[in-house]
Order: sequence, then C-alpha cells, then structure tokens
Amino acid sequence: MQEFKVLPDLPAPVKTVGPVAWLKNNLFSSWLNGLATIVVVAILAKLLPGLLDWLFFSANWTGTSQDACTKEGACWVFINSWSKQFFYGSYPDGQLWRINLVLAMLVGIITLSIFISKEYRNKIVVPLFLLLPFIGLIILDGSLIGLQVVSTDLWGGFTLNVLLAAASIIVAFPLGALWALGRRSEMPLARSISIILIEFFRGVPVLALFFMGSVMLPLFFPEGTTVDKLVRVWIVLVLFMSGYMAEVFRGGFQAIPKGQYEAADAIGLGYWQKNALIIFPQVIKVSMPNILATFVMLFKNTTFLLIIGIFEMLSTAQTALTNSNWLGGHSTEAYLFVGLVFWVCCYSMSLIATSIERKLNTDHRN
Amino acid sequence: MKTTDASQNDVIKINDLNKWYGDFHVLKDINLNVKEGERIVVCGPSGSGKSTLIRCVNRLEEFQKGSLIVNGVEMIEDIKNIEAIRREVGMVFQHFNLFPHLTILENLTLGPIWVQKQSKADAEAVAMKYLERVKIPEQAHKFPGQLSGGQQQRVAIARSLCMNPKIMLFDEPTSALDPEMISEVLDVMVELAEEGMTMICVTHEMGFAKKVADRVIFMDAGQIVEQNNPTEFFGNPQNERTQLFLSQILAH
Ligand SMILES: Nc1ncnc2c1ncn2[C@@H]1O[C@H](COP(=O)(O)OP(=O)(O)OP(=O)(O)O)[C@@H](O)[C@H]1O
Ligand SMILES: [Mg+2]
Repeated sequence: MQEFKVLPDLPAPVKTVGPVAWLKNNLFSSWLNGLATIVVVAILAKLLPGLLDWLFFSANWTGTSQDACTKEGACWVFINSWSKQFFYGSYPDGQLWRINLVLAMLVGIITLSIFISKEYRNKIVVPLFLLLPFIGLIILDGSLIGLQVVSTDLWGGFTLNVLLAAASIIVAFPLGALWALGRRSEMPLARSISIILIEFFRGVPVLALFFMGSVMLPLFFPEGTTVDKLVRVWIVLVLFMSGYMAEVFRGGFQAIPKGQYEAADAIGLGYWQKNALIIFPQVIKVSMPNILATFVMLFKNTTFLLIIGIFEMLSTAQTALTNSNWLGGHSTEAYLFVGLVFWVCCYSMSLIATSIERKLNTDHRN
Repeated sequence: MKTTDASQNDVIKINDLNKWYGDFHVLKDINLNVKEGERIVVCGPSGSGKSTLIRCVNRLEEFQKGSLIVNGVEMIEDIKNIEAIRREVGMVFQHFNLFPHLTILENLTLGPIWVQKQSKADAEAVAMKYLERVKIPEQAHKFPGQLSGGQQQRVAIARSLCMNPKIMLFDEPTSALDPEMISEVLDVMVELAEEGMTMICVTHEMGFAKKVADRVIFMDAGQIVEQNNPTEFFGNPQNERTQLFLSQILAH
C-alpha cells in the first residue's frame, strides 16, 4: 500500500506579507488610490502640527481658574474644573457614592451576564436587569430608604445620560418584544394597536416626542398628581425605544425558520411558552448587533434632552460655558470633550456589536 | 368526543377530509382509519399532499371540510383540544427542527417540563433513557449544530418519544440525510415499529416499507389512490398511477 506523506508548510511568498506589501496593497493599489494617499498625507502634514500643538504642546493643563490658561493652546483647566459637573451634574458632593454604586451595579450585572453559566443567566441576570432601573431610582432619590433626598433637578451630567439610556432600554426591551409579537399576531385588534404604536413612536422625531412628553403626558395622569420631569422623560424614551426595538425584533423574527414554530407546536407548547422558550431567545441572538446599534442611537439621543432643560452632559457643558468665571470662550474644548466621551462609549459598543456579529457568523447552526 | 362504533380501537379516524390552500384543493375526500399499533407508510409523487395530510393529524395545518378524530378527541377549533391532541402525537420532520440554542438534553426535556409539568430530574432521567435508545447518550450536553444529520434526526425522534406519544408521525425523516446516515435513523424507526408504536411515515424508503409497514398508502393529486399490505402493494399494484410511480422509484 502507498504511504500518505504530509507536505511541509512553506512560508508565504514575501510579496504578500510585510510592511512593503501592506503599503502597496492598502495605499497604492492603483494610481487613483496612490493619488488619494498623497493628497491625504499632504493635508495631514499641513493641519496636524497646528492641531497637535493646540491640543497638547501649547495646551494649559494645570490650574484651578481661567487665569491659569495663559498659553496659546487649549484650556483643559476648564474641563478639569468642571469635570465633576460633567459627570455627576449637581448631585451633592457627599452623596456621589450613590451614583457610583448604581453605575457599579449596572457594570456588575453586565459582567455577570457575560460570565455566568447559561443555566442561571435567565433566572438571575434577567430579573436583576429588570429590577435595576427601579432600585437605581430608589437609591438615587433616597426618600424611601432614609438617605438624604436628592431631588431630580440636581441629577445630571454624563451619568444621567448613561442611566437614562440604560433604564430606558431595560424597559423598552420587553415592551418592544410585546409590540413585535402584537404586530405578528393574528388578532386584528392586537395587531393594529401594535402597528399604530410602533409607527407613531418611530415616525415622530424624538425632539417632538420630548416636547409632547413634557407638555402632553401630564394630561394622562390623574388630576392633581405631578409626575417628575425626569420620569416623564423616561417614559418618552421608553416608548420611543420600544418602537425601534419592536422593528429590530421583527427583523429577528423573520430570520427564524418556520420549522422552529412547527416543532414547538408539535411538542404542545402554548403560545407564550413557544415564544418565550424557543423563538425569542433565537430572535435576541440574531438581533444582537441591531439591538446594540439601536442602543447607541438612543444613547446619543439623550443629549437632545438639553432642549427641555434636563441637565445631561451637553447642557451641563453649555451651562459651564456661560458661567461668569469662565467666559473665556472654551466652547471648542467643551464640545470636543463631550464629543470624545460619547464617541469612546459608542465606538466601544459598536466594536462589541461587530465581535458579536462575527461570533454569530461562525456559529454552526442549522 | 367519544365514539362507540365498531372500530373502537382506531386511534385515528379521518373522514371525508378536504383541504384547500386558497383556491387550490390539496386534499380531496381523504378517508383513513389507523388502528392502534398499526404502521402505515405513505408515498407518492412530490406535491401530492402527503405532508399536508399528516400535518393535519396534529393540526399543524387546518382543514375546511370533514372530520378528524385522534385518540377519541375530535379536532375542532378549540385550542384546548388541539393541545390535547398534540400531547398524544409526536412528529419528526424532514429538517429535524431541533432548537439550536438549547443543548440536546434541553431539547428533550423542554416538552416534559413545560407541557407535562414534570420535574427537571424526572425529565432528564427519561431523556437520558431515550438518548441511550437512539444510541447517542454521550451527546447530551452538545448543541444540535455540533451533531451530524443522522445524529440530529435521532435526537429529534428521542425528543418526540420523551413526550410519551401514542402516535408518531414521520415526514420524510431520511430525505435530508447523506446516504451513509440513512440507515442509522431507519434502524431506530424499525425498533420503534417493532415495539408496537402506532406510526404514519411519509417516506420513499421502500426497504423500510417492506420491512415494517402493515399498510402502504399511495397518494397522488391530493387523493388516496391505492392502499394495501406491502406484499400486494409492491408485488401487484392495481392502479396505473401506482405502477408508474413504483417503476420510477424502483428503476434506480
Ligand atoms: N402553505 C402553502 N400554501 C399554498 N400551497 C401549498 C402550501 N403548502 C403546500 N402547498 C401545495 O400543496 C401541495 C401539497 O404539498 P405537500 O407538501 O403536502 O406535498 P408532498 O406530497 O409532501 O410533497 P413532497 O414530496 O415534495 O414533500 C403542493 O402542490 C404544494 O405546492
Ligand atoms: Mg412533503
């Protein structure tokens, strides 16, 4: 019998690897590409030195007041002095641990959901997620648990953006799922109500929704009750987000093969069991990248709240800019900083989305 | 609804069943009674309505005319009735339809736990018993995507058996499989037949039909054209359609 010989692995030809090949493939693959590379490099060479100088070399880093900004470049002292407000708003100094605690719980639960075994994930993490907005509210407000009461006008800054976005998506997740199910339902009433809700909250610009929330929503509450402005905003964000989530889920539902429903039916599962145990877990899995993208959009949209006087990060920055001690025109620094913070957050989320997508693509499924 | 006529031990009684998809008349005047323990093989050309017929039995499809009584329960619109029947009838699909996000063991225990309200421990014990019967207990903690087609189909059979059904329906269980995996699935089905399970199999595996079927049914254009025991059916087909069909599938 003939012997089977394994051929040795040879290194790839030099032309396809190494920095020279990389340059050739990515920057000079055609004369048009080469021209574009040269133009971009020329522009960068012209702008970059000045920019770097302003950002770093001639920038003012230390000090406590505007007078410390003597040099030509950026006045980072401004950001430094206002950083507490940028992140925590006007929340009382001694109570900041409460915000940190809530944020830590959020991060903790997210970490837990990644590392916990699948068996406990649904039993522990999901209820924790759903409870978190309410626990967070109680801790931050303080009145129910005997802590110093901090009224919501004092809540603000970047943590408010994060908390509002997180609290909204947590409620919008089940609500959006319900609307998506309603839209697929065979009951005409459930279907029309779902379609109207979804299309309304997706179709109306979020700014208009915020105005409606502050003006119209109180009409729906019983006479004499005043509902906190922040809670009204939360409700608006939840409804807005639910509309988008419902559409994300709808796409996910369409990706589930008919055979899954039939197999679930054949086993004798009821409607809710079938959806909760078989269909929805798969929908979430295929929709994950879109869910994250929608969340990024919601997160950025929380900055629109400055229009109706919620002290989230962007409006805090504007307030700081009009402070009489800091009238030196630091708006470039302020907006750059706000932009950078949001960009870092959103970019990391889209990195996560990409990696999930890649993982799903390599998943062997039938 | 209990019936008390002569055919008391018929577990399935199909009477003048007619079904339309829109204007398209897929099933025409189907009459079929199946006795307890009877093994029936259904064959016929593509599009003749075989799948549609057996899917009517556990109400994956609804029909417009006629009656269908399974295990003494009449199939009517009532959801409770449908669920009662689905509890008695197991179904195995051409494309397995395992739940990809659950392990093999979870696929098997889902029905017993959520529909029959068994404890997890009981359900797992039963599931392991059936996994051993289909000869893949070692795969219990894998996911469906990690198994070969033949293994997946055996899991699907075990999943149905875990619900302890009175009747098993098979819709071309081997036609999505690579040739070398067909026999491992057929072996399991033969064993099941020998234990006395009531079965309706849509299949073109004529060897299987000859070996286990009590009755072979030939369908064409939504009708039952001919039915007989395997010896007669294959040896002496009466209808020209049957003859043509058999000559085509036996030709190669
Ligand atoms: N959902 C549907 N809507 C409309 N027509 C359908 C539908 N499902 C099946 N049909 C049609 O009904 C007829 C019978 O289909 P069925 O699936 O029962 O055939 P079959 O005998 O199982 O064929 P095959 O051997 O290809 O599986 C076919 O002509 C098919 O095109
Ligand atoms: Mg078919």
